[in-house]
Amino acid sequence: MAPPFAAAAVSSHPSLFSPSTSRPAIRRHLPPSSISVRPRRCPPAASAAAAEPAGKLLLEVHGLTASVKETGQQILKGVDLTIREGEVHAIMGKNGSGKSTLTKVLVGHPHYEVTGGTIMFKGENLIDMEPEERSLAGLFMSFQAPIEIPGVSNYDFLLMALNARREKDGLPALGPLEFYSVVSQKVEALKMEPKILDRNVNEGFSGGERKRNEILQLSVVGADLALLDEIDSGLDVDALEDVAHAVNGLLTPQNSVLMITHYQRLLDLIKPSYVHIMESGKIVKTGDSSLASHINEGGFKSIASFV
Amino acid sequence: MSPPSLCAAACSTPLRAAPPPLLRFRRPASSSVSVSAARAAAPSVSDDLVLRIAEQLEDSAASSPLLDPLRSASALSLLSTPWPTRRSNEAFRFTDISYLRSLPISLPTQTPGLAPPPSPDAESHIIFSDGLLVSASGAHVAALADMPPGVARDRAAAALAASAQFSHRDIFYDFNAVGASDVAVVYVPEGAKMAGDPVHIMFGYSGSDGASMMMSNPRVLVIAEKGAEVAIVEEHFGTGEGDGGCYWANPVVDIIVEEGARVVHSYVQRQSSAAAHTKWTTVQQNTSSTYEFVEVSTGGRLNRHNLHIQQLGPETVTELSTFHLTSQNKQIHDLHSRLILDHPRGYSRQLHKLIACGSGNGIFDGNIQVNRYAQQTDAGQQTKCLLLSPKAVVNVKPNLQIIADDVKCTHGAAISGDLDPNELFYFQARGVDVKTATDALLFSFGAQVINRILFKPVEQKALAQLKELLTLSRQSN
Ligand SMILES: Nc1ncnc2c1ncn2[C@@H]1O[C@H](COP(=O)(O)OP(=O)(O)O)[C@@H](O)[C@H]1O
Ligand SMILES: [Mg+2]
Repeated sequence: MAPPFAAAAVSSHPSLFSPSTSRPAIRRHLPPSSISVRPRRCPPAASAAAAEPAGKLLLEVHGLTASVKETGQQILKGVDLTIREGEVHAIMGKNGSGKSTLTKVLVGHPHYEVTGGTIMFKGENLIDMEPEERSLAGLFMSFQAPIEIPGVSNYDFLLMALNARREKDGLPALGPLEFYSVVSQKVEALKMEPKILDRNVNEGFSGGERKRNEILQLSVVGADLALLDEIDSGLDVDALEDVAHAVNGLLTPQNSVLMITHYQRLLDLIKPSYVHIMESGKIVKTGDSSLASHINEGGFKSIASFV
Repeated sequence: MSPPSLCAAACSTPLRAAPPPLLRFRRPASSSVSVSAARAAAPSVSDDLVLRIAEQLEDSAASSPLLDPLRSASALSLLSTPWPTRRSNEAFRFTDISYLRSLPISLPTQTPGLAPPPSPDAESHIIFSDGLLVSASGAHVAALADMPPGVARDRAAAALAASAQFSHRDIFYDFNAVGASDVAVVYVPEGAKMAGDPVHIMFGYSGSDGASMMMSNPRVLVIAEKGAEVAIVEEHFGTGEGDGGCYWANPVVDIIVEEGARVVHSYVQRQSSAAAHTKWTTVQQNTSSTYEFVEVSTGGRLNRHNLHIQQLGPETVTELSTFHLTSQNKQIHDLHSRLILDHPRGYSRQLHKLIACGSGNGIFDGNIQVNRYAQQTDAGQQTKCLLLSPKAVVNVKPNLQIIADDVKCTHGAAISGDLDPNELFYFQARGVDVKTATDALLFSFGAQVINRILFKPVEQKALAQLKELLTLSRQSN
């Protein structure tokens, strides 16, 4: 298994995620249209299971059910999802269909309780792991609505996150000064104001700044699987390109992304190999990127007739 | 009540009406007998304590013509003021000050201890050692006793005389007035701007042998004339062996902010763990003046701060940020703040934060009075308390008294026993474990106030100390 991003990032290539690195990630140097791992040719998931697997299994979700801890209300009603190394997945679906809940349950959000099913990540049972262990194992979720942490500077937060990872990898902690060159490149790559580092985590940030800040965190700590929940909402076209560029920069044959989005424009920038439709707490349909175009033209109602 | 002690007389007679010109506390030689008799007879025993301390203080302080009017008024007031108890005095309802009575009081000798004065971080500085003014140097800084005749001295004298009329005084204010041997004066003339170059005021306390509690009464007067700008930084700390010893610090700082003037005030209290600290800060704010205050209190076994701000003209700006941490057992931290607005268009913001660990006790009484003529006042008050142990107690009493009808007042008080789980989860989701995240969040809880200290060396010291105390308190829990 390839070392997690962050470890590689700080041990050898401090600027791994910026597009200028020498890592053998050919796709990054190609135009965005050819970014996805197995563009277009990729068969729908139903038959993909039968086809020879190109990448190793990363995430395997079976019959996952979960409810809100406080009320017991069931939200996820049997989710099945398989993601392999190097794949780009997108989940679409109406508001309230359970997309955010799925990502939060995957990272162990304390509001939810898993009531059934299994989640395997890189061969380990995720359900038994603490949220920080899941993160250190290489799972990253960008929050749809990131909260503020008053009093904690973005810089310190990022450094703590990176050092947690370094500790796990047996690397010495980075000092605040050493970290500066690592983080400032990432900030630049995302076309963010350097001042964003001195500000408290998300405090007074605009919606767009919060989304970029999530991606900044991803680019600092790295991930084997990034769950990106509506990173496109609240972003203007330019900002979306910056974010997409950064995400594409993260993609290697070993890493995967699961995006949640309502909009084609993100899928044009980060090409999905699979598109899933979620409805009432279940994935009801899986296809390739043409499924997304279809929905964008005819809405979710049209997928019933989509072949 | 048989023994004719001064105390008993004082309690039953409203002496305020006809004061003798200069009061003395001398009691008959048999007073020790009467004390024990009175003790048996109860309740007036507490007044006897007040008198005993007042007497000691009066004996120790040399006469000073500029201070005498204030001293007399305070001496008089002490004659009729009983020792405050939780039952008898609303202002001490939640504050147990019995620690002050646990040992007899001793007073520092006129020659301050041999301990070398700590080196100040700023050019202009004032150093107190056990309440005695040992150094006042730099621009606009002087000891009252050394001030040459002139405007500054006249202004200081007038301000001290006016303090004699201060109606919200308590025994601690009066003890200080009677016991202060000199006053450090920061006088910033009209238009002078020195906010970038703070006056660093260091209050070191050494404590005594352990059989008594050394009491000190340092006093500072700050006058910022029209359009002047000044920054002052107060630091209170123990200088004795180990953690710093047992003593009672009873400082008073009076501040006058004239029209259009600005005073930036930082106050760090990190007394020894056996210290008692009773502090008064009074502020008078004239038209269009600004007062910005940041407090960090972590030390002392008993800590009481009375912060009193009186508006004297319209369009004042008042910003108060305070942080109290009770990290040792039985530690008491009390902030009683009062902001009195009598004029239109005042703007005020107050933030009080408190962390109580172990069996610590935090008290906050935050009074804001928006009186009849204080129209279009914009006043905001926020309290945030974190109770980190089931034995910790906080008593929070934010109170806004609003009489004017066209005002904008907001207030909020949050007391929680845990950190925000959503904030903790954010850290976890980025790979940081709960323990590390908790440390970071607690630190930032206090740092949010500490970061408002504009004087870097003091801010950094306070942050480092906060980190240390949080670590210690986690280890002991
Ligand atoms: N913590 C929660 N408490 C109560 N209801 C919740 C909670 N989280 C999600 N839900 C409910 O679950 C449903 C799915 O929510 P969500 O996963 O956010 O949907 P989506 O992201 O697809 O818009 C919604 O009806 C939402 O109100
Ligand atoms: Mg959602």
